Amino acid sequence: MNAREVAHAALAAAEGEAEAVAHVERSGLARFASSEVHQPTLIDNAVVTLRVVRGSRTGVATTNKVDGDGLAELARRAADAAETAPADETFPGLALPAEPPQVGGADEETAGLGPDDQARLAAAAIDAAGDVPAFGFFTSGVTELAVASSTGILVGQEMTDATALVVAADEERSGYAEQTAWRAGNVDPASVAREAAAKAERTAGSAEIEPGAYGAVLEPYALAELIEYFAHDSFGALGLLEERSYLSGRLGEQIFDEKISIADDSLDPRGLPKSFDFEGTPKQRVALVEDGIARGVVWDRTTAAQAGNGVQSTGHAPPLESRDWGPLPYALSIAAGEAESVDELAGLVGDGIYITRLHYLGVVHPHQGIITGMTRDGTFRIRDGEIAEPLVNLRFTVAVPELLGEVHGLTRGVALVNSQNFYGERYPYGVLAPALASARFRITGVGSKPGI
Amino acid sequence: MRDLCAAAIDAATGAGAEYADARVVLKRTQLVATKNGRVERLGDSESEGIGVRVLVAGAWGFACDRRLSADGARDAALRACAFARAAPGNHSRALTPINPQTGSHRSAFEQDPFEVPLGDKVDLCLRADEALAGPDVVVRQTMVRAQREHKLLLTSEGTEVEQELVECGGGVDCAAARDGVFQLRSYPSAHVGSSCQSGWEYVVGLDLVGEAPRVTEQAAALLQADPCPSAITTVVLDADQVALQVHESVGHPTELDRVYGTEASYAGTSFLKPHDLGSLRYGSELMNITADATTRGGLGSFAFDDEGVPAARTAVVEDGRLTGFLTSRETAARLGSGHGGSMRADGWNRMPLVRMTNLHLEPGEGTLDDLLGDVDDGVYMETNRSWSIDDKRLNFQFGTQVAWEIKGGKLGKMLRDATYTGITPVFWGSLDAVAGRESWRLYGLTNCGKGQPGQSAHVSHGAAPARFRNVQIGVKT
Repeated sequence: MNAREVAHAALAAAEGEAEAVAHVERSGLARFASSEVHQPTLIDNAVVTLRVVRGSRTGVATTNKVDGDGLAELARRAADAAETAPADETFPGLALPAEPPQVGGADEETAGLGPDDQARLAAAAIDAAGDVPAFGFFTSGVTELAVASSTGILVGQEMTDATALVVAADEERSGYAEQTAWRAGNVDPASVAREAAAKAERTAGSAEIEPGAYGAVLEPYALAELIEYFAHDSFGALGLLEERSYLSGRLGEQIFDEKISIADDSLDPRGLPKSFDFEGTPKQRVALVEDGIARGVVWDRTTAAQAGNGVQSTGHAPPLESRDWGPLPYALSIAAGEAESVDELAGLVGDGIYITRLHYLGVVHPHQGIITGMTRDGTFRIRDGEIAEPLVNLRFTVAVPELLGEVHGLTRGVALVNSQNFYGERYPYGVLAPALASARFRITGVGSKPGI
Repeated sequence: MRDLCAAAIDAATGAGAEYADARVVLKRTQLVATKNGRVERLGDSESEGIGVRVLVAGAWGFACDRRLSADGARDAALRACAFARAAPGNHSRALTPINPQTGSHRSAFEQDPFEVPLGDKVDLCLRADEALAGPDVVVRQTMVRAQREHKLLLTSEGTEVEQELVECGGGVDCAAARDGVFQLRSYPSAHVGSSCQSGWEYVVGLDLVGEAPRVTEQAAALLQADPCPSAITTVVLDADQVALQVHESVGHPTELDRVYGTEASYAGTSFLKPHDLGSLRYGSELMNITADATTRGGLGSFAFDDEGVPAARTAVVEDGRLTGFLTSRETAARLGSGHGGSMRADGWNRMPLVRMTNLHLEPGEGTLDDLLGDVDDGVYMETNRSWSIDDKRLNFQFGTQVAWEIKGGKLGKMLRDATYTGITPVFWGSLDAVAGRESWRLYGLTNCGKGQPGQSAHVSHGAAPARFRNVQIGVKT
């Protein structure tokens, strides 16, 4: 059964008011280390979540047993939960039908890739890394999402995605690159590996630097991850309502350099397009920051009802099991600038550091947008406007508003940086990001040398 | 279930696999969560399927199928073999030998958490939620959870083991905000509470309702507290934060797959090398770390791991010296030491990985007051708030929800926004006291991430408050 059929069947198994969300995945991931595949995983699953409504009481059950007996049992468990739940006068009700936007995001060729193809494309990366051992993966998959509800919603979307990721590394050096697209044909594993290997070759003999504030160039990989962590607390409605968000009390104010504009745009074909959210509400483009001015956050029906000020869902309801975090931007897009290259950005910085990617970020103070983490797989000094000698991995503790408060420039080109780590059910999403040059990136410690 | 696993093994070996294992897993989870007086989640989830892992000409392959049918089992086996056959690389893998194991195991509990009516769970959460109310409180959250995992493992070497593991847990969180200051307190642990391989009696024993007012009081008090200063000083950590310190700076770096680089593309590697075994000075002589898959109540407890290796208790660090790694059969064979026993998979549709079982800092002597009493000037930190560590598990920075200054051996004023940072062996080298058995607690976390595709492991750590000298607190700039 496809996702629409699963959702429809689950809804039919329920009595009364209900909503079914079906998630079907067929994927393969060829993971490699030291230039050989060591964890090849093929997944084939179908999961359906049923939300049963009894007045203002709701109960949820999930299963991957999608035959008649399994769905009947699912309906019984969801109904039991609903009948146990206390009344919730803030429950906004199930979404009403609305025509979702037409988006791309599904590619027949990508959907057709099998284990042999995934292994072949992993091998292409391994071979292209040359003498530098390769660690990473090639993955492709097809994901179907469908929502059916007793209010008349029946929407479905097929999504494909492919990612090649390579850490090229040995004892002394390491470099990183990745490509993600909904068309596997737009992912070139060999190119990814060459980029990672070339970066690695420049990292041998790394030096330490003193902690302090430096001008910095962040590659798209680094900028995307940092903004995604910031967004978790600051660009969702729940963070705003709970005063965790940096945007709390600042909407309409200049919070970043005027070169910074950030949107959430699931309709952008350069990303991983989505048509509707996990309540079946059509996706909207949401301006989060325009020319440095805080404009808004993303909403779902629950938070919109809680706000009670007439705001509507923007189509950002997450899966039910993730609603503790409220609606989140799954398609962040940072507007490009005018710089032709990262070298040009280094020229704008003059003296500072160059950062390829980050590792293990942690939010220290959500309301202040302070995030700590390490740089990894390609950190360099910038001297006299040129990318110079390699540096060890550096600990940073930055206030994102400070980092984005004085921006020298951004590249014209943007990259789609994969954000999913493939936990649970596959749901492809990522961040469209350029490289960025900032006046201040705060280094608070030094770590180990590059390399494994 | 047994027939399905046998069919998968037969199909795999018939397709050329020199080794195969098949796991059928049935998992059910239940979660009740409230926020600000309303039930936010009331869910009941189940998942079942079969995962088949094969070695074909030295190459691993893994495939799975949600269908618990002969067709599903065979299809998974054949796809796993095809993937292994296609895998690039110069494969040459050996597994450390084990005797075929047979047996069954069921974790101990008094009250089956799935027999507790959902309504009782909702009532408990709402009462705890109400008890969290107070001035300046902007978010009150409560959660209780339960999980039952029933799994059967068959291998082509003749192992056949069946296990049922039951766990449950809970926790409360309270966030307070005023004038742009946002503070959080949690009990009994941050990040989705604490869980235990136990029956509902564990949740009852947490006394979420009784503890809630203290949590709220401290969250509100933090709004008035001074920020923790930046200094090099003596730090005393509560048992919960010590547990996280063990997890991040001892557990992960001693996973032998990380040492060999197989997590390099995601979770990272390790500052340890295989030849460090037996010689590397990890910390002071007070540092004794044990991996124990037999700990009663531990989330990493079992009778057999997901390769069928019997549970064991082994020393990882003894008197401050590295004496053991966490291993799989493959990594143990490569090292020439150990027998595996740390392999676990996140359900039926993930390949087993080297995971922590239960990793403990063994207790020392005395009480928390004894630890504080020997500090003229320092900081006591409690309950993790933020965590970050580098890919080799050397440079870390952790933050806690609350801290107090220590003056003249006594706790002084409360401090907010406390962080400390260090380099793993240097930090553990500064350990100069661990509190005794009476202060030792078991903490169970359910969000340990690793692998591609990602897997979450459930892990427990036993720890007591501990004291570290000459630690950088605050941010060095």
